[in-house]
Amino acid sequence: MAPPAQSHRSPSPSQPSGKSEVSDLKSQLRQFAGSRAPGVDDSKRELFKKVISFMTIGIDMSSVFGEMVMCSVTPDIVLKKMCYLYVGNYAKVNPDLALLTINFLQRDCKDEDPMIRGLALRSLCSLRVANLVEYLVGPLGSGLKDNNSYVRTVAVMGVLKLYHISASTCVDADFPSVLKHLLLNDPDTQVVANCLSALQEIWSSEATNSEEASRDRETLLSKPVVYYLLNRIKEFSEWAQCLVLELVSKYVPSDSSEIFDIMNLLEDRLQHANGAVVLATTKLFLQLTLSMTDVHQQVYERIKAPLLTLVSSGSPEQSYAVLSHLHLLVMRAPFIFASDYKHFYCQYNEPSYVKKLKLEMLTAVANESNTYEIVTELCEYAANVDIPIARESIRAVGKIALQQYDVNAIVDRLLQFLEMEKDYVTAEVLVLVKDLLRKYPQWSHDCIAVVGNISSKNIQEPKAKAALIWMLGEYSQDMQDAPYILESVIENWDDEHSAEVRLHLLTAVMKCFFKRPPETQKALGAALAAGIADFHQDVHDRALFYYRLLQHNVTVAEHVVNPPKQAVSVFADTQSSEVKDRIFDEFNSLSVVYQKPSYMFTDKEHRGPFEFSDELGNLSIGTESADTGVPGHRVEANDKDLLLSTSEKEETRVPTNSGAYSAPSYDSALVSIAAPQPQSDLLSINTLAPVIASQSGFAIDDLLGLGVSETPAPAPAPSPPPLKLNPKAALEPSMFQQKWRQLPISLSQEYSMSPQGVGALTTPQVLLQHMQNNSIQCIASGGQSPNFKFFFFAQKAEESSTFLVECKISTANSKAEIKIKADDQSASQEFSSLFQSALSKFGSP
Amino acid sequence: MLQCIFLISDSGEVMLEKQLTGHRVDRSICAWFWEHALSQGDSSKGITFLACSQVEMPPLMAIEFLCRVADVLSDYLGGLNEDLIKDNFIIVYEVFEPTLVLVITNQFLVNVEHDFLFERATASCVPWRTTDTKYANNEVYVDLVEEMDAIINRDGVLVKCEIYGEVQVNSHLSGLPDLTLSFANPSVLDDVRFHPCVRFRPWESDQILSFVPPDGQFKLMSYRVRKLKSTPIYVKPQLTSDAGACRISLLVGIRNDPGKIIDSITVEFQLPPCVLSAELSSNHGTVNILSSKKCSWSIGRIPKDKTPSMSGTLVLETGLERLHVFPTFVVGFRIMGIALSGVKIDKLDIKNLPNKPYKGFRALTHAGEFEVRS
Repeated sequence: MAPPAQSHRSPSPSQPSGKSEVSDLKSQLRQFAGSRAPGVDDSKRELFKKVISFMTIGIDMSSVFGEMVMCSVTPDIVLKKMCYLYVGNYAKVNPDLALLTINFLQRDCKDEDPMIRGLALRSLCSLRVANLVEYLVGPLGSGLKDNNSYVRTVAVMGVLKLYHISASTCVDADFPSVLKHLLLNDPDTQVVANCLSALQEIWSSEATNSEEASRDRETLLSKPVVYYLLNRIKEFSEWAQCLVLELVSKYVPSDSSEIFDIMNLLEDRLQHANGAVVLATTKLFLQLTLSMTDVHQQVYERIKAPLLTLVSSGSPEQSYAVLSHLHLLVMRAPFIFASDYKHFYCQYNEPSYVKKLKLEMLTAVANESNTYEIVTELCEYAANVDIPIARESIRAVGKIALQQYDVNAIVDRLLQFLEMEKDYVTAEVLVLVKDLLRKYPQWSHDCIAVVGNISSKNIQEPKAKAALIWMLGEYSQDMQDAPYILESVIENWDDEHSAEVRLHLLTAVMKCFFKRPPETQKALGAALAAGIADFHQDVHDRALFYYRLLQHNVTVAEHVVNPPKQAVSVFADTQSSEVKDRIFDEFNSLSVVYQKPSYMFTDKEHRGPFEFSDELGNLSIGTESADTGVPGHRVEANDKDLLLSTSEKEETRVPTNSGAYSAPSYDSALVSIAAPQPQSDLLSINTLAPVIASQSGFAIDDLLGLGVSETPAPAPAPSPPPLKLNPKAALEPSMFQQKWRQLPISLSQEYSMSPQGVGALTTPQVLLQHMQNNSIQCIASGGQSPNFKFFFFAQKAEESSTFLVECKISTANSKAEIKIKADDQSASQEFSSLFQSALSKFGSP
Repeated sequence: MLQCIFLISDSGEVMLEKQLTGHRVDRSICAWFWEHALSQGDSSKGITFLACSQVEMPPLMAIEFLCRVADVLSDYLGGLNEDLIKDNFIIVYEVFEPTLVLVITNQFLVNVEHDFLFERATASCVPWRTTDTKYANNEVYVDLVEEMDAIINRDGVLVKCEIYGEVQVNSHLSGLPDLTLSFANPSVLDDVRFHPCVRFRPWESDQILSFVPPDGQFKLMSYRVRKLKSTPIYVKPQLTSDAGACRISLLVGIRNDPGKIIDSITVEFQLPPCVLSAELSSNHGTVNILSSKKCSWSIGRIPKDKTPSMSGTLVLETGLERLHVFPTFVVGFRIMGIALSGVKIDKLDIKNLPNKPYKGFRALTHAGEFEVRS
């Protein structure tokens, strides 16, 4: 029990004034201690309640410890519970009482009543006193064998608590294997669920230093275990169901009929009252069908209704969490939600963070058939009292216009916004009109006519002012007053606080000069003079650059500053597609709510490469590409290609892609094929690789590279060039984890460290930096002086062949023990010497 | 998983701290959270439940859990506010106790049971129900509670109208009763979600709800009905600006008589910041203007002889000719005795019960997010 809240503004009236009340309680308790009179339990309850309420408001009640324990020799559960609460609180802070407490609880662990046995065991395990763990093993062992399921449930969680207090005690007592037995055999599903969560936690953290534990952890994902859990899923509590569903989403079914069986079995989970179950099921369905385009799309259709219902029921927090997931799906497959656009209409009372998500979804789902309604709706928000939302909705209208649907009408609407004469509306519209003109220069006449009427004096926001100035420069030939407006702005150069605006002003006046020299010359001179004298470095530099350019040659200057432009076809996305894919892989987690992959907001110690998560997304895509052999059909990257991750869609659009970019997803492809199958299969697929390559001819250089490197070379290889490492190698933690599991150790060596190196190794970080300079990246590190442990990786410069290194350094005896695993095992010796030389340089100046 | 739960009062004070694992979460996180929540304009009323986690986890698992805890507490304490929590400190602490480490305890979570606090694990084939329930008078009540969400746009067009409904059951039945509930028109339901007690197959094949109910009050099912064609009442705002003032008039009347009395009709709206002052009057009901420029017009029932109307003048900021930002009117109403979606309960059969129980049915529709833009 946590120390209670101390900050009470108004202490309850029953608070004792001093010691006398505590001693009063003490004597009253003593009075009842031996009594067995009828009704005495009720009086005891009253006294216990008092003791505990004093305790929770921070009064030291440890002096009545003995009396409390004496009084709780009773079958009354309520009294027992309160007593456990009490002793648990004082055992931690008072070591003298701890031993007494343990005796008391150990005795109760043998009580006749299973409820008392369970409660006592729970309290015993919650004490968390590190030096008393030896007393836990016995009661836990018998608790796990108890014939009452409640006691077993408690005991399983107790094992986990023991593990956190002292991992070695827990493992030495062989508790994990007892749990494994219970997991598969216990009749009570609550026990099974607790075993599952306890084992996941224990094996995941054991896996770092024990091969056996990591193999054990694999067995959780084996077909028998998964099927066993799935078949009992309806018996589990709703929370345990989430746990099981999460586990199954990591399981890789062997064929499509298995996938359908699982989905049929779980379909009714989508109608569960608990939203967490619905979302966990959704994740599972999405993951299972990643490689089956048509079915994947049907899954979207199927989960749409439950998710939309979840949004409209429940607390605002629940709806927001679901809406974030819906947002993710809408962004991936907007066309599927096109007919549901009304669900994304904003309600007046909704908080702005909800409205913001909805606006983004409305923008995404807009297509030929619904644009009119959506834009009409968005225009109503522009007159919203909530100014940030009004701005967002104007931006949304602009984005839809950029998506090319019904641009004509939308431009009209945007221009109508200007009539509202609201500063913020005008500002937003100006920025949008600028973007629109960059994409659709053909609209310039209509827009310029309206924009020309706006006085720059009324615009304060830098972005909007910059946009207006850009238009003045770009279209100065069509705007009668352009040079004069610019001139008047330049006159007020010193009042212009934003550097962005001043930079735009310089460029605009240059452009204007090329088009209408006589009218602009004076303004240009003034602008350049003011710019060169500007204190802002960029403004100064640009002015100087223009000045010298003009001095050099005016025609060249025009080519540099005002070359003929191509209309922009697509504006860059703010979030990279890799990040988006990553978030999708982490569906049903907080990453979706934060719209960031988890590595951006969790501590390293809480994830690392050994977190129990595999990226199935990439795996199944890989399988698919090998099956079909011809990935050529992906060239038509139409909307229906749901199965493609976003990054792949991009790749297919760009036929010549450099290797570095596509490396992660493709080398995972091959490894994944190897995963469930024996070595011989790997070979057969490798022989396929050249075929695939010759047929497709794009973006799979890496696939080919990896494949060849593993194939036993038939001809004697020419002497290899010296090994060069890619200085910017990148590897996903999960990929590292996966490879580490699959590859055999190709080299294991021990180096001795130089004394300087040992001296410099105070924290792991310093070594990381050093190795990074030698193109060897660290993926995880830990430990404290004198023992450190590191996981490194490196990639060949020319191909994506990877080396993985486990490195244990003991500064006590100056030894570094390394294990190398490599895609290309023939190169590991060479890599080893490279690694050693890098390591030996560590610490030397 | 969850490492710590805090209860924060509406003034930002930490009332309770419950550490669930050995790794303590510092209380100062609450101050950070509170500042952040305030900056988002989240004017939270009542108690805030804050859970902390250092690892990734399914967000709904945490939120559903907190909601469930809040439900249990509010049910047990008869409400949820600062005073109640301070008066019942031990109970509140103890509620978190059975949930140590993992949020899994069937008896505690599946259903709100009044004796959950000192619950006794009973062997029962139905986990949400104890075997030894006994009542002298067996009774069961089924309520259809519906919420109508609607948006009427500036041109008076109904752009969105749907209903979210719940079937709430209050069961006081002895032993292990087996219930079957059927709807007269299940086809109108667009999407449904069930309490874990509902058997899936009978619904799949015949749209029948077959279940062994938990004891007491619970939500049997929730559903959604989309694309409704009309609303029971209309609200017609009209705003005309002229020379720094704006005339506002608002008419409310019955559009589609549901056949039952519509009562508790209210219209609320927020005046835009550019309105300096407002003068509003109505021919029926009362009009209030709060200092925050929030106006509310409570109408109650619509009288037979006249159409309720409200009118008045808004004085705009100096220099402003016309109103550019228009208020949205949020409408409230309640109709007893009818479910507006048209869903009707056909019959309720009860098996496995020695004597005939009393069965009660009710329906209620009220406005959810019902808004009219001007």
